[in-house]
Amino acid sequence: MRVVLLTLMSGAALLGCTDSRAAEVARAPQQASVASAGDLAARFVSHPENIQPGMVKPYAGRVMVNPYEGNASAAATGAKLFVSYNCIDCHGADGSGAMGPSLADGRWHFGGTPGEVFESIYQGRPEGMPAWGSLIADDQVWMLVSYVRGLQANKNVTTENFAGKTVERTGH
Amino acid sequence: MRNARVVMLAVAVTACAKGADTTGDSANGHPAAVQTVSGATIAAPRAGPAGEWSLPAGDYSNSRYSELDQITAANVKGLHAAWTFSTGVLRGHEGSPLVVGNTMYIVTPYPNVSYALDLATEGQPLKWKVRPENAQQAVGLACCDVVNRGASFDNGKIFYNLLDGHTVAIDAASGKLLWQTKMGDLSRGETMTMAPLAVKGKVIVGSSGGEMGVRGWVAAIDQATGKEVWRAYNVGPDADIKVGPRFKQFYKPADAGANAAQHSWPGDSWKQGGATVWGWISYDPVLNLVYHGTSNPGPWNGNQRPGDNQWSAAIIARDADTGEMVWAFQPTPHDIWDYDGVNENILVDLPMGGTTRKALVHFDRNGFAYTMDRATGEVLVAKPFVPMNWASEVSLKTGRPTMNPDKMPASGKKITFICPSLEGGKNQQPAAFSPATGLFYVPTNNLCMDFEAREVTYIAGTPYIGGNAPEVAGPGGYKGEFIAWDATTGRKMWGIKEPFPVWGGGLATKGDVVFYGTLDGWFKAANARTGEVLWKFKVGSGVVGNPISYLGPDGKQYIAIYAGIGGDMGLLIAGDVAANLPFDVRERGSTLPDLARWTSWGGMLFVFSLN
Repeated sequence: MRVVLLTLMSGAALLGCTDSRAAEVARAPQQASVASAGDLAARFVSHPENIQPGMVKPYAGRVMVNPYEGNASAAATGAKLFVSYNCIDCHGADGSGAMGPSLADGRWHFGGTPGEVFESIYQGRPEGMPAWGSLIADDQVWMLVSYVRGLQANKNVTTENFAGKTVERTGH
Repeated sequence: MRNARVVMLAVAVTACAKGADTTGDSANGHPAAVQTVSGATIAAPRAGPAGEWSLPAGDYSNSRYSELDQITAANVKGLHAAWTFSTGVLRGHEGSPLVVGNTMYIVTPYPNVSYALDLATEGQPLKWKVRPENAQQAVGLACCDVVNRGASFDNGKIFYNLLDGHTVAIDAASGKLLWQTKMGDLSRGETMTMAPLAVKGKVIVGSSGGEMGVRGWVAAIDQATGKEVWRAYNVGPDADIKVGPRFKQFYKPADAGANAAQHSWPGDSWKQGGATVWGWISYDPVLNLVYHGTSNPGPWNGNQRPGDNQWSAAIIARDADTGEMVWAFQPTPHDIWDYDGVNENILVDLPMGGTTRKALVHFDRNGFAYTMDRATGEVLVAKPFVPMNWASEVSLKTGRPTMNPDKMPASGKKITFICPSLEGGKNQQPAAFSPATGLFYVPTNNLCMDFEAREVTYIAGTPYIGGNAPEVAGPGGYKGEFIAWDATTGRKMWGIKEPFPVWGGGLATKGDVVFYGTLDGWFKAANARTGEVLWKFKVGSGVVGNPISYLGPDGKQYIAIYAGIGGDMGLLIAGDVAANLPFDVRERGSTLPDLARWTSWGGMLFVFSLN
């Protein structure tokens, strides 16, 4: 069971920016039955944050590349998709968080590389992030990646100093 | 008739009813006692001992009144922290614990762990701890933090809801999980946060998810078996909403007749119509009726659902045994402001017009306080209890508000400074009633909003909202006020202004002391007759829960309150005070930009006593 699940995930990693994802994923369990452990490992995405036991050299998984990296018009389309797919009402109008976590604070719960953000959108995440890979095309996921990765500038505030601030207060 | 909505110009912000204003500190001098209402009584005072708190609001009537009177206006200044308990969870602690016999029962926010604390032993050791299975996905499907508003005790069992849509029963003596019944569909965004009400061998429950395009319902579960006894939807065909021969409306709405809760929606839009039951339930044992509110219609953008949208944003009376709808009333027909109708209904008998009326008092999100006949649904009094400008008055002939056309959101338009905001004049924070003064003690918000509606597509499991509504302080600059209210006349009698919305509930006691907590972490005691703040204590986190009073095994009166900021106000509005995870550094919310200076996450029970 675990092998099948991992294969589905790695299928997501392999397919890159095609529109035929659904068909490929549907075939994935069949691939699992013939894949060797080595084949599977080569398909996994590399997560830079992962701890490597024994401090061995970083695990060499695939690096997923956003075909729209640096493409402003794709990011602009991503912004529209962010509204159309109701992302806005979970993550906030400016992506700064509401029901769901902020995407604009530069702090990523599941990694902030393009591949990791792709995975978060495609597969979903445990606390209610839907698995959008079943509904929307890969190129749209990548446009969303372009948009949300562009939100994080200058909002990672490590220190807030409240001293000396004049605060208007009514009541006590 | 959908377009023939009568509107009239309303000018500026309607002033609140007259009344003395006090402030959080009344160090100089003592305000005068206000006029009280004699002869007002709780419809169904609690059956059990006065020192217990076995139901979410203490009794079926939702009074939140304690008969204990050791703590009085004269001695409350000697109140001090007696003991505390950490729930181990750092999310919004709405609701309150229960106390039955020598045991206190606590339910935490998600993951909805419950604890039984032995009050008879020094140090309050645990009798048991229960950790039910509770799907993690629920966390991200809950609109307004992962709160839980508490439990009910009946027949030796504790009943409460899990965020992932289950209701559980636990043996109060042993902690054994007796049953766990799936009531909500998480994949559609149905979560459960409300406190069930135990009534006549059943448990009445409802779901959250009004922001997710779910179809709201209320249901009764058999206490012994965990099996569903009845389920009534609030929108859709008459058979589904349990409208039959007993259904009588005091006011005939614009959309009436058979299946009106289906036909007052375009097409099949009622299937995503919201109208969830996430608030407090009350019960009248003589009429055998349960009362509940329903949430906003889905989506917020009203252009996508012309019509009255029955029975969203409504108050509904149902037969406790069958769920049949006996009457229904919409304070906000065709709600386009997210005003909901879900706030608690307090059942009291009030002296009015030379007679005693079987009344229901409801402080609606829309800013009007309704005093109604709880047998028929007739509106007896409806007056603003907070500053407002979306409507000027409620007609007692039709029950409908007279709306201000300048404050009506529509697709693609930005409407500015609508009061109250979508948080409402009051929200989940329940009011209390004291038969000693005949007054209601109401935690309120004073917020206004801009509203920008937009088209939204329904995608199951995602929000179905279609609007942005940034908020600012209402007229006067303060953002909340704890008020005393005369429901026979619709007048504010006194008010304690607060810098932040008062998002925690009220408690009234026979000792003429009322209690409430604030978002910035103050727990306060005020004189019920004057509104003078007599005592306050800075607890460990902002308060969004409801105080209770109980008699300890040592014969002393105790006051208990949760400290744990969160809920809608903490999670969504305060920004970095209560972000999704403590290491989030999301920007501070613009509505309460200063709150982060005064409090942070918490999850503690504080218990107070004299000496």
